[in-house]
Amino acid sequence: MSVRVCSLQDLTPGEGLRIDSVTPPIAVFLTEDGQVHAIDDTCTHQEASLAAGWLEDCRVECPLHESTFSLLTGDVDQPPAKRGVRVHQVEVRGDDVLVELSQDAPNLPPGVTV
Amino acid sequence: MIIDHLDEPLPGSSLRPTPPGVAYTDPEIFTQEQAEIFEKQWNCVLRADSLPQAGTWKTVTVGREEIIVVRTRKAGIAAYYNVCRHRGMRICTTGEGRSKTLKCGYHAWTYALEGELVAAPNLTSMPDVDQEAYGLRPVHVREWLGYVWVCLAEEPPNFDEAVLGEVRTSFGEVESIDNYGIENLACGETKTYDVQANWKLIIENFMECYHCATIHPELTEVIPEFADGLASQRKDGVVHGASFGDEITGFTVDGSSGVAEIPAIAPDQERKYYAITVRPQVFINTVPDHVIIHRMFPVSESRTIVVCDWLFLPEVVEKINAGTLDVSKSVELFHRVNEQDFEACEYTQPSMSSSAYTSGGALVPSEHHISEFHDWWYAALGWRAPEQVRDEQTTAAQA
Repeated sequence: MSVRVCSLQDLTPGEGLRIDSVTPPIAVFLTEDGQVHAIDDTCTHQEASLAAGWLEDCRVECPLHESTFSLLTGDVDQPPAKRGVRVHQVEVRGDDVLVELSQDAPNLPPGVTV
Repeated sequence: MIIDHLDEPLPGSSLRPTPPGVAYTDPEIFTQEQAEIFEKQWNCVLRADSLPQAGTWKTVTVGREEIIVVRTRKAGIAAYYNVCRHRGMRICTTGEGRSKTLKCGYHAWTYALEGELVAAPNLTSMPDVDQEAYGLRPVHVREWLGYVWVCLAEEPPNFDEAVLGEVRTSFGEVESIDNYGIENLACGETKTYDVQANWKLIIENFMECYHCATIHPELTEVIPEFADGLASQRKDGVVHGASFGDEITGFTVDGSSGVAEIPAIAPDQERKYYAITVRPQVFINTVPDHVIIHRMFPVSESRTIVVCDWLFLPEVVEKINAGTLDVSKSVELFHRVNEQDFEACEYTQPSMSSSAYTSGGALVPSEHHISEFHDWWYAALGWRAPEQVRDEQTTAAQA
């Protein structure tokens, strides 16, 4: 089941938006070439919002440490994070950004529970 | 601190007093200068083109503070205190670098290049933390002449009045500094001098040319009128264009031709040298084909770092970098002047604590305009200049 999380107008190209109306929070990104992606917002290494990270070439670098996550697969490239994040299916319908949340268990960092 | 003048010359005499020796040696006075002058005035800190891309940063010391100067992604050049708002560690621990954010290495508090706190461990669990309010503490920034100027004061002096106004007035309407288009010039050479002398000795040296015939043989050869002891800088901030000698074809160490002249200078600027002081820490020299800019960074009461840039037209600098043009004779002239000046200052500094200099020294008539600097200095520290006190006493005695 899809949920509307924001409108396209809420997004800035090259940046992420943290959505905390869902649990755990997710991060929605609008890439420079106009694609919309959604992944879990919380880094799997330590509690940090990936929406505040640095977006480049469809990967987001955690703002705290050096791990980057793919917006397409959720995979992590290097420590300190060891586990990937979940990817959520995005559908843009008109101005609405709809997300179908992954049913997998989230990989949350120590100390963070759903 | 009370500064007394003993043995003051009589009014109308040829000699005027300098501040006493202690003004150049007392760490407490130096601390007051840092607080009342360098941390309140505009300071020229670095070239804007030394921060070419978003994320490049350098640290500079202004007064007692370390400042990060960074080119942001969205807001041009910004400057911040190099102090993490969490527990105070230095954010940048080297002199320069390039990064996507400004991140403290202690607990990873992470700031956007634009200053706001963007991330910290567990920050999302602390939604009450105002990420703007806990951003890096900014300082005021201006760009002028291709340089980044910063001011640490909460309410800085008006830049247009405090800096631009003073410079334009000094240069006069016709001989305007704007003609040189300094902001469009490029840096062809930079030299850094670690001078073991109080910063005021360096300013006083720069303001006068009574010493020129004695310690600057090459400069006096190029500009013979300096042998009369009169500097380019004069009373009331007036700047006099000092003429090249008849046989001189360029501002070079041997008087040979320089490089391509700056096109927009006025006809009467073509064979002239101008010098101005922008208090508290900048000297600007202009000659027809280049501009020399000094920035001073006082380190202690007896040590000052001076950075000197030689600026040329961009096409000249391209040739310098390509190895097809040699400007070493242009650079060598003022490099020698610098070394000669700073050596004199370094031989002067130790005497400042001598009992023979307790009440200070003397300014001859061609140096009397340096009193304007001293008056400014006394006023900046909230002291009354001895001459002011004397004038008041004279007035009172006459009344």
